[in-house]
Amino acid sequence: MSNWIPLWLHKLSSPPTFYRFAGTLLPWMMALALLLGAIGLYGGLVLAPPDYQQGDAYRIIFIHVPSAWMSMFIYGVMGVSAFIALVWRIKLAEVVAMESAPIGAAFTFITLVTGSLWGKPMWGTWWTWDARLTSELVLLFLYLGVIGLYHAFEDRRQGARAAAFLAIIGIINVPIVHYSVTWWNTLHQGSTVDIFGHSKIAWDMLWPLLTVTLATKFYYAASLFRRARTDLLALESGKEWVRQIAQREGKR
Amino acid sequence: MIRPGLARACTAMLRRDLTLAWRRRGDIAMPVLYALIVTMLFPFALGPEDTLLQRIAGGVILVTVLLSMLLALDVLFSSDIEDGSLEQLVLAPQPLALMLGMKILAHWITTALPLIVATPLLAAMLHLPAAVIPVLLLALLLATPLLSLFGAVLVALTAGTRRSGMLLALMLLPLCVPAVIFAAGAVAAAQQGLPWLAPIVWLAAALVLAVALGPLACAAALRIALDA
Amino acid sequence: MSFHTLQGFFAMGGYALYVWPAYAVFFTVLIADTLSPIVRRRRVLRELNARLARQSARQATQASDTTTPTQTAASTDGSRPCP
Repeated sequence: MSNWIPLWLHKLSSPPTFYRFAGTLLPWMMALALLLGAIGLYGGLVLAPPDYQQGDAYRIIFIHVPSAWMSMFIYGVMGVSAFIALVWRIKLAEVVAMESAPIGAAFTFITLVTGSLWGKPMWGTWWTWDARLTSELVLLFLYLGVIGLYHAFEDRRQGARAAAFLAIIGIINVPIVHYSVTWWNTLHQGSTVDIFGHSKIAWDMLWPLLTVTLATKFYYAASLFRRARTDLLALESGKEWVRQIAQREGKR
Repeated sequence: MIRPGLARACTAMLRRDLTLAWRRRGDIAMPVLYALIVTMLFPFALGPEDTLLQRIAGGVILVTVLLSMLLALDVLFSSDIEDGSLEQLVLAPQPLALMLGMKILAHWITTALPLIVATPLLAAMLHLPAAVIPVLLLALLLATPLLSLFGAVLVALTAGTRRSGMLLALMLLPLCVPAVIFAAGAVAAAQQGLPWLAPIVWLAAALVLAVALGPLACAAALRIALDA
Repeated sequence: MSFHTLQGFFAMGGYALYVWPAYAVFFTVLIADTLSPIVRRRRVLRELNARLARQSARQATQASDTTTPTQTAASTDGSRPCP
């Protein structure tokens, strides 16, 4: 039986090990994100042909759709690490959950703004109470609630645990909101806009989209590592390993 | 089967909270007064046309009731935290979830019930047709306990913090969206002469679920927030 | 290659007013997200160093109260301050 994976995970979850591990990986993640982002955006903005219906305005999807995917993906990561933080009380899981929240909120904000910048020329309105858009807005409020609750506590770890609980409540809530807004739309027969009407997307447009998506994944990893490292320094400021880092970096 | 000691503890808890609320009767009237003021402002802002007021009445009353409840929400545990009786409750042999359920019930009776009693008055101010009022009351009877339960979980989470009024609103908003949609949907459907039972049944289902899980979540949240 | 001139690229087929602000928001928000932990990290380390300096200063004065100055220099030099 190979039990080196749990052992490795256990070792990784100790703050100094993770600090070093994340520090080694961080530049690579950031470099990959920048490289893939540059390739994908070049493909999307320059190489891909204009859409036969939407002209060049559709080029917003190369950032809009990856951001939307990230906003949900990060909420998933936050929810899982929140669960781990509450059940097993692992400090690193708390840090990952709480430092994911601002990144997720950033991507949700980007999704909402780019979506409305796309919607204005395409369907003539900045905002519509469509189920997808409303759920995204609710997601932003969930992120802000988690961030707000985390910072409302004097004690960082206690705040992290309370906010982790809120994040788990939110995960149950998102599908309910999506369902109820869909129901609400059928009741009021509002303007139902089919954003992703053309389901068959040309390869010339698809590969830049997927490349940028991959770039945002690496960006998230890099940003999370950077934030988690900072957070661990602040949380463990009494420990010897943090002192050594402080003395080493203070000299420079 | 409920042990006799447990039933006595529940009634004692309920009686204590109701007595405390009754001693400060003025506070019970405040949410109702707030709802009256908000409802009164709408005709001034939108003009006194019957048709317009009728169209928005259901939604306005629901949102007003929600906001009034939000106003009264952060006092749910505050006095008990100040005098330390909440910590006694956490340490007590009785299950915490059940005791908190009783506290939430008492809070609902003292804040939401007066609002529901005042609802026909609010409806009359906005010219809501009399035939729709029973549906509105039914929707409120199901939606307000839901909001009380959601609110209680969030208030428990913020128990360890200093004043948190705005934060509470920010956290409650995503949770109360479905309740508002279904309650308002039922009223709107009744107003248009459409079948309104489906959203009411959905609300009832959500309430059953919330009654079962809400106190448990509240107890878990309180343990997290008070665990220093 | 979809655009033949640079002007055509910047015009985005008449949608420049929507496409470029969207990209500007994307990059502005992500750059801000990148910078904020860097700034915070610098602040945390500065505060930590200040606290360490205060601590060792306090230990030095405590030591000088009980012992002679020459001994103090020796004691603060060799060992790292412990909590």
